[in-house]
Formats: sequence, C-alpha cells, structure tokens
Amino acid sequence: MMERIAETSPRFKARMAGVCQLMEAVTAAFGEVIIPGKLVVAGNAAATAANILGHERLFWLGFVLSVIGVGFHIAWALLMYELLDPVNRSLSRLAAFVILVGCAIQALASLLYLAPLLILQGGSSLSAFTAEQLQALALVFLRLNDYAFQVYLVFFGAWCLLIGYLIFRSTFLPRILGVLLAISGLGWVIYLYPPLAHRLWRIIDAASALGEVPVELWLIVMGVNAQRWKEQAGAAGASLRT
Amino acid sequence: MTDRTFEASPRPRARITGVVYLLYFLTAVLAVFFIRGLVVSGDAAATANNILAHERLFRLSVAVGLIGTALYIAVTVLFYGLFKTVNKTVSLLAAFFSLVGCAIQAFASLFQIAPLVVLEGSPYLSVFKVDQLHAVALMFIKLNVQAAYIYLVFFGLFNLLIGYLIFKSTFLPRILGVLMALSGLGWLTFLSPSLANRLLAYIEVLGIIAEASLMLWLLVKGVNVQRWKEQASAPVE
Repeated sequence: MMERIAETSPRFKARMAGVCQLMEAVTAAFGEVIIPGKLVVAGNAAATAANILGHERLFWLGFVLSVIGVGFHIAWALLMYELLDPVNRSLSRLAAFVILVGCAIQALASLLYLAPLLILQGGSSLSAFTAEQLQALALVFLRLNDYAFQVYLVFFGAWCLLIGYLIFRSTFLPRILGVLLAISGLGWVIYLYPPLAHRLWRIIDAASALGEVPVELWLIVMGVNAQRWKEQAGAAGASLRT
Repeated sequence: MTDRTFEASPRPRARITGVVYLLYFLTAVLAVFFIRGLVVSGDAAATANNILAHERLFRLSVAVGLIGTALYIAVTVLFYGLFKTVNKTVSLLAAFFSLVGCAIQAFASLFQIAPLVVLEGSPYLSVFKVDQLHAVALMFIKLNVQAAYIYLVFFGLFNLLIGYLIFKSTFLPRILGVLMALSGLGWLTFLSPSLANRLLAYIEVLGIIAEASLMLWLLVKGVNVQRWKEQASAPVE
C-alpha cells in the first residue's frame, strides 16, 4: 500500500485536495448559507413559504449544491488522509472516520432540506392541516436542517483540529498552516453548544477564514514538498516493517 | 505518538484505549444523568414543561452525547489498530459497523433537539394548539428512542466482532471475548424492540459487565506485549 501511494505524485494529490476543498467551500456556502439565507425569513413561516414556492428552482439548486458539497468533502477527506498518513497513521485514520460521520450527517440532513418542499406542495393529501400550519411545519424542518448543519460543524471542527495537528507535525507543509487550521477547528467545535456559538459567530467565522483559506491556497498553489513527503513516508514505512 | 511507538509498545496504546473507553462511559452516563426524570412517558404536557424548565440541561445532554460519539469513533480506531493483527478484514468490518452506528447516533441528536424547536414558543408556531405542539415534541422524543434502537443494533454487531477478535487473539483473555460477543448478541435483540424491552435488564447488565471488564482490563493490564508482537509479525491471514 505504501508503494502505491508513493508512486502517485504527492504534489498532485495535494493540489487535488486543495481543489476539492475549494469546491466544497463554494458548494456548501451556496447550498447551506447563501441560498437558504435569501429564501428563509427567520420566524416568518408565511414569507418563507412564499419565497420557496416562488423560487422553487433556486431552492432545488441549494439542495443539490448541498449534496454535491458532501461529495467533494468525502474526496477532500480521502486525499488528506492519504497525504497525512505518513505523519501518523492512527490519527489520520481517526480524522478520516470523524469526518465520514460528519459527512453522513450532512447527507442525511438533505432530507430535512427537501421536506419543506414536500410539505408546501402536498396539495390535497395534506389538507387535514391548514395552510398556516403547513407553512409553520416547513419552517420547523428548515430549523432542524440548521441544527443538522451545526452537528456536522462539530465533527468538521474536530477533523480540522486533527488535520491541523498532523500538518503541524508533518515536515512537508508549513507548521503555521496547521496551527491556524486547528484554531479554526476549535471555533467550529463551539457549535456543541449552539447558544454560545451564536454569541461568538463573528470570531468563529473570522478564525475559519484565517484557518481554511491559507491551507486551501497553499495546497492548490504549492502542493506539498514532495521530497520531504517521500522521506516521511519512507520513515513511516521502515518503522512498520521492523 | 507516531506508529513507531505503537509498534514498539502496544501496552501504552492499550491503556490509552482503556482511558478513552472510560471517558466514553462517563459521557454516556452524564448525557442520561442530565435529563433524568425530564421525560414523563405518555404525558406530553408534563414532558414539555420539564424540557422548557431545564432547557440548559437538555442542551448540555445533547452536547455531551455528541462528545461521546466522537470518543466512540476514537475507541473504534484504537480497536482497529489493536486487532488488525488478528484479522485485518474482520477488524475493518467491525470498525465500519461502529462508524455507521456513530453516524446514526450523531444524527439522532437532532430528534433530541427538535422538541426545543417546537416548544420554544416562536410566534409562527401559534397556528398549532399548545397541546398539539406538546404532542409533536413527545413524538420527536420517541423517534430519538427508536433511533437508539437502530444504532444499538450496529454497536451490537461491533461488539460481536470485537468479541470474536478478542477470542481469536492470543494477547487478551478469551473470557473477555465471550462476554463481548454475548453483549453484542444482547444489543442485536433491539431488532425487535418488544423482545429487547422484555429482556432489557439482562441485556444492560450483560453489556455493562462485558464492556466494563474489557475497559478495566485494558486500563490496568493492557495487552500481553509478547503475544501481540508474535501475532503482528505472523504472516497475514
């Protein structure tokens, strides 16, 4: 297994990881934040329902982007696992498992994303409820989707923390990138207790931008130091054989 | 903390596994402790009032539960590292079962938070009668319980395979493997919740005895290093 990884250029892998990270960031930002932000009016079920039904395509686009984001996230996670495996196999495996659980939550949450559309377009099959009740129910599902996203953020934060530590311990990526990523991960972990996270969201957002954008750019532009990566992979392989 | 230290000394790593396992137990107990007595079965109004009166405890229970899931993922990874020398395929299968269980458990925390969403008293919810909202909140709590039945089945499969791996390993006492496999079979009865609820006391006692003795053994005795190394260097099955 070691040989196969070493044969594929680690620099190419790192660049692809950066590209996946960028694509994930863009799709998730539109799918989970920007498009719902345009359509959902907090606390106003009637206006939200009117927006969703009036911009059904945009709502669908948000849903689809959110699901595509999960796909990019899984690819990004796999590439980071292979890149950081030489640093510490157990910890990079732990990181991969943690983010897989996060991705599973995010994928399941797409059901909650779509539920409002089913409820609002239910027609006569849902006529046992008044229109206002259906609108309120749709908003409840949107709120639940928010919560699901926050649960995902907790696992994403734990992943960033682990990946940050591994980058710090690696010889082939700048240590400062690892420190910044770990700090941004700590920020997301605060979503364990959403009321606190909502008070600190400006700091969490700033930490996230400071932590994730440099890693993304570095991976895309610089990749990794291939020479050093092979040295560390060789050392890890040698220690396994003894 | 590199793999080199693991290869050289599986005993500290077994101890770390014991510690993480212990922390997981503590979070599991704490998550239940925080909300003890809040849910009054069959009484939606009383349950709703309890939840609203103890909102902070309710949220803490969710947070501690999620930390517990994260710790269980760590236990899963550590067990995989410990048992892959026994049988790599079975260890990986066990890890994947556990991961699916963890994903369901983490997602199910939504059903625990959902009662707060419908009970918080936002004006938009006034189109429902108060007792309708209470009933919906209790329905979410019941869904949370059903979700637990599902992840327990996956954790049962995990325990069953871990029990087999312990039994086949030479570096841990076989009795621990038998206990783990039996506890796994116990959790599998949640495939039929009515059967599981009849046997619940036995399943729980068995589960606690099996997992607590494995946890304590790892914590106190670790693994038989000599035998672990022999198995690690044996040809791959």
